[in-house]
Amino acid sequence: MIKVRIPTPLRPMTEGKSEVEIAGNTVSEIIDNLGSAHPGIKERVYDEKGEVRRFINIYVNEEDIRFLTGKDTPLKDGDEVSIIPAIAGGA
Amino acid sequence: MLAIPSSIITNMIAHARELAPHECCGILSGTEHTIADAYRITNILAALSEQDLTRFDGAKLTDLQRLSPEERADIAFQMDAREMAMAQRDIRSKGLDLLGFYHSHTFSPARPSQTDITIAMEFESYRAKLHLPEPFHLIVSLEHSDQPSIRAYRIRESQPTEVPIHTLP
Ligand SMILES: [Zn+2]
Repeated sequence: MIKVRIPTPLRPMTEGKSEVEIAGNTVSEIIDNLGSAHPGIKERVYDEKGEVRRFINIYVNEEDIRFLTGKDTPLKDGDEVSIIPAIAGGA
Repeated sequence: MLAIPSSIITNMIAHARELAPHECCGILSGTEHTIADAYRITNILAALSEQDLTRFDGAKLTDLQRLSPEERADIAFQMDAREMAMAQRDIRSKGLDLLGFYHSHTFSPARPSQTDITIAMEFESYRAKLHLPEPFHLIVSLEHSDQPSIRAYRIRESQPTEVPIHTLP
């Protein structure tokens, strides 16, 4: 099982949990299975084309998946996946 | 105390002016209490869908929903995640740290808003896991357009504390 960190704005879909355990061998499988376990979440992570939304970074441990092999990045037991929105703010 | 080369201060103010009335945003690298470089990051707020906007807190969300996508960027920013990741990678390759974030307030003072504080705390909840140092939050205000001001803050437990800026030659 892989520990997945859920960002604050998506926690309403995980009953408020900041971390969930999900099975999967790649990042893509994790997001699919996360979407099955918590309906609505996959659509918030991917855009209409199935790409990670422009304001979201996905990390495996401390590395952004863009610098690994993207959604195909393989995972092993003990890895942690973090879904993290990039910095925002306002006046 | 935060030391910033004057060229970087000039660069951040120029960035704010170029994008006004939209807010600009960027990342600062450095070590400990000294900024080494600034990275301009695209404010993608106007490109966010209605659903994406729910990443903002309630009050800001209500304000954003009243505006056209274009006008939304006048009162808020969202960094492009890919550009932010590229900048972080560049910072790491130079042996520096991600030391801070900056953005502009086009019509208001250089003080963190409630939205800035909420999102700074959101970042704080991930920061340790990603082994990043505590960031400085810088705001460039164009409220008085002939006299732009820039201030730096630490934000701890939702309380901003101003950090004096020391300008390096
Ligand atoms: Zn702000």
